[in-house]
Amino acid sequence: MPPRPLAKINKIDPAELKMLKKRIDIAMALIIVSAALLLTRLWYLQIYRGDEYAKLSEINRIRIQEIAAPRGNILDRTGQPIITNRPRFNVVWNREDAPNPDEVIKDLAKILHEDISVLLDRIRAATENPRYMPTRLKEDIDWETLAAIENKHLTLPGVRIEVMPSRDYLYGDFASHLVGYLAEISPAELKEKQYASYQSGDQVGKQGVEKIFEQYLKGEKGRNYLEVDVHGFQQRQMQLQEPFPGNDLHLTLDIELQRVAEEAMADKAGAVVVMEVNTGNLLVMHSSPPLHLQEFVGGISQTAWDRLLNDPLNPLLDKTIQGQYPPGSTFKIVTALAAISEGVITPDATFFCGGSLNFGNRRYGCWKKGGHGTVDFQRALIESCDVYFYSVGMRLGVDRIAKYANNLGLGKKTGIDLEHEKSGMIPSTAWKQQRYKEKWQEGETLSVAIGQGYVLTTPLQLCRLTAAVVNGGTLYRPQLVSSVTAPDGKTMKTFSPVSEGKILGSAHSLGLIKEALVGVVNSPGGTAKVVALPDVLIGGKTGTAQVVRLAQVEGLGEKAIPYKYRDHAWFTSFAPAEKPEIAVTVLVEHGQHGGSAAGPVAKAVFKKYFELKNGNKTAPEATPPPVAPDEKEE
Amino acid sequence: MLRFDRRLLLNFDWVLIGAVLAVALVGLANIYSSTHLYTNVGTPLYLKELTYYLFGAAVALLIVSIDYRVLLTLNYPLYIGMILLLLFALVFGKTIAGAQRWINLGFFRLQPSEPAKLILVITLASYYYRKETGKGFTLLDLAVPALLTGLPFILIAKQPDLGTGLLLGFIFVSMTLFVKLRWTTLATLLCGGLSAIPIAWKFFLKPYQRQRVETFLNPENDPLGTGYHIIQSKIAVGSGLIFGKGYLQGTQGQLDFLPERHTDFAFSVWAEEWGFFGSVLLIICYFFMILWGLNIAISARDKFGVLLAFGVVSLIFWQAFINLAMVMGLLPVVGVPLPFISYGGSSLLTNLAGLGLLMNIRMRRYMGTS
Repeated sequence: MPPRPLAKINKIDPAELKMLKKRIDIAMALIIVSAALLLTRLWYLQIYRGDEYAKLSEINRIRIQEIAAPRGNILDRTGQPIITNRPRFNVVWNREDAPNPDEVIKDLAKILHEDISVLLDRIRAATENPRYMPTRLKEDIDWETLAAIENKHLTLPGVRIEVMPSRDYLYGDFASHLVGYLAEISPAELKEKQYASYQSGDQVGKQGVEKIFEQYLKGEKGRNYLEVDVHGFQQRQMQLQEPFPGNDLHLTLDIELQRVAEEAMADKAGAVVVMEVNTGNLLVMHSSPPLHLQEFVGGISQTAWDRLLNDPLNPLLDKTIQGQYPPGSTFKIVTALAAISEGVITPDATFFCGGSLNFGNRRYGCWKKGGHGTVDFQRALIESCDVYFYSVGMRLGVDRIAKYANNLGLGKKTGIDLEHEKSGMIPSTAWKQQRYKEKWQEGETLSVAIGQGYVLTTPLQLCRLTAAVVNGGTLYRPQLVSSVTAPDGKTMKTFSPVSEGKILGSAHSLGLIKEALVGVVNSPGGTAKVVALPDVLIGGKTGTAQVVRLAQVEGLGEKAIPYKYRDHAWFTSFAPAEKPEIAVTVLVEHGQHGGSAAGPVAKAVFKKYFELKNGNKTAPEATPPPVAPDEKEE
Repeated sequence: MLRFDRRLLLNFDWVLIGAVLAVALVGLANIYSSTHLYTNVGTPLYLKELTYYLFGAAVALLIVSIDYRVLLTLNYPLYIGMILLLLFALVFGKTIAGAQRWINLGFFRLQPSEPAKLILVITLASYYYRKETGKGFTLLDLAVPALLTGLPFILIAKQPDLGTGLLLGFIFVSMTLFVKLRWTTLATLLCGGLSAIPIAWKFFLKPYQRQRVETFLNPENDPLGTGYHIIQSKIAVGSGLIFGKGYLQGTQGQLDFLPERHTDFAFSVWAEEWGFFGSVLLIICYFFMILWGLNIAISARDKFGVLLAFGVVSLIFWQAFINLAMVMGLLPVVGVPLPFISYGGSSLLTNLAGLGLLMNIRMRRYMGTS
């Protein structure tokens, strides 16, 4: 660089070089020490505590996303699906992907037919969630909305569709109380031992078989191992563990029969129970009005819940097992069996019914005000003569009636696989003493003998009782589920009929009662002639359960009595008489007449049952014999 | 114009070239690993870095070709140019991550605080060479170099870039200790320095700077906030174990858990993917280069060469040591890059220029007075 001469620089002088060299040596030593320090630190981090950090880095990068398992199907006894699964589409929002969220939300609100504030509220409620977690804006959209969103996909950045398995109710509200519904697991349930493997947000059976058989139905959740970055956004899928579907539940219910029962009860509140008399399998379990299961999908709204709570027809109550009603005259089966078995009467012994019986200083009336005249055992049951059973009841005493009633499964739970079953009520002297600290009044026995007073039964109890009386005396435990099968078809578990033992009463006495019950439907004076079918012999017993004491409604015409004070109507029956197969019990709340309100429901069920059995041959309808208009059977 | 002596070529320092090439290869491979997943637009960063390397090599060659002694006359113009650049950056600089550090040159964003380090080395070497004192420097003698260091220190600390500012201080202290100090001066400085720490803590450190130091002392206090860097870096280094997770397989680096992984935390990526084995290799390579630089210093033909070489070595050493200690959790997080490994054109150019100076001094060690 010629223009700028280098400064005059002398070579370094040896003395100074020596001194500088000493300092360079010190510097070298310090540098080596610092290198050693760094290497030691490296050893400490990577080797001494390496495993610890390796574990931390694993946790850092893998997020496990759970995939809900398709729940097991619920099938009827012929294997026809009743409840399956369908995909449910939710609209989710990922704000990270949207450059201009306000516009997008505005457009989306239009498509969803929602007010924009509803969507914004949801987004606001989710601000505490991690950023990668999408916000659910609307659940379970229909196909039309789905298509609209898919079409506008490009103009809606950040909006995505999430697919979740959800229950598909193929027959709507079919057997709604029995199957129950699903909902998000509650904080209280999460603390229970049986839900130990569940997490917040999981769907769980809340009622009915969905709850009882939860462990079979739920399946195994799948797992998606996602590699994520520091912001939690998914980078790639590392491993996918497919969910394992739940097991299928084969109910004992018969779709066709249940539907007939539901149709017949469409405008009535009450219950229908149909049981195979020789197995205890339930073919129909219907409580009316049904629940609208669709309302429960994704959580029931407060307004819908309030409506259910305040509905006078009480749809939340499963009337088959939770409805407790006085059995009325159907209870005469119990009194009759007790009387014959205990020998307090002979079948031929007659009583005179003049329309009432005086006992103590009270008059106990018969439902037929004019009286039945002279009645024997058969006629007393067929025509449901109250005076006859007052007399028989007095001879028996309440405790002997209670003994037979309990023996027939009344006054205690049947043990069906459903929750919240009620046990009904069979009074006795000991019970009254304990409950009211009072002595039993003889007059009360008269009420009990005709199924009034303290006596309460559930429709299921009466059905089982009927089955036991006509099947030769075996009391079966009611069954709802016949088997559980794995998704590959393998049978996991079968439920065989469970006998709870023989009931009291000889075959002869049971035969006498059965014969009389056939007469109820088929003989001229019978209270249920309306039920008779031409080619099948049906037997049964009607009943009317007083809701209020007669005095309160005395003098009012039938139509003038307020709905809630009207009597409940019962009909419990079986067929075919020669070799009974099914027992059908119908309760119509405030239906007033067992024969005319409850009878036709049973008749429809019988008709369908035998149609199905005989290969869909439709039996010609017989014109029902006219019912005397002035008579109100009890 | 270039008086290029053939003897110079004979004295070409192949050891230094070899060491730098080894470290450069590690640096490029590492930048590829830490950025290949995330650069979707424009030139991949490892290619950019390669360009800087080539450009830097050319600059270094140019420096090699000019006798280093010319710097004795050029030092003040260089110094003034540096101050002007720093002022310019402060006033018109581009703000990245809240700091005004860059000057946009169109094709290149220059971070003037990087060349400032090297220019300070040149300035101090020149000053100490001229100011020869037999008995050692008095406190008063230190006033001028302290001012020379203090001015860029303030300008850089104001950006704010405390790491680079402190680095200037370390260079000043190292070089001053290297030339002779009187004992009294040393003692006074030590006492003054120690008493200055609490005052600086209270009045000069910005809240985020104080927070960084506090976080360093206790990172688990705020694992997602300020402690995050340290924790994630330690996880990355520690989880490398003996042989590492494999090239491009480091989860901490690849998945964005590690912040600033191609710049300040580049070594964490290396340590995660190559383990203890690869890390030791790199550190040995590195410190060999540094020690070799000291060897160059002591073999220089004149005192200016010794001071200059020592200054360059102290510049590279302090950056390396502070960065490595920081990513291993031994020092608080300060923005000091790892020379030749961290991505960044300004830093690379500066360090390559420094190496050019070393080579320059090495090649001219046998030259006579001219």
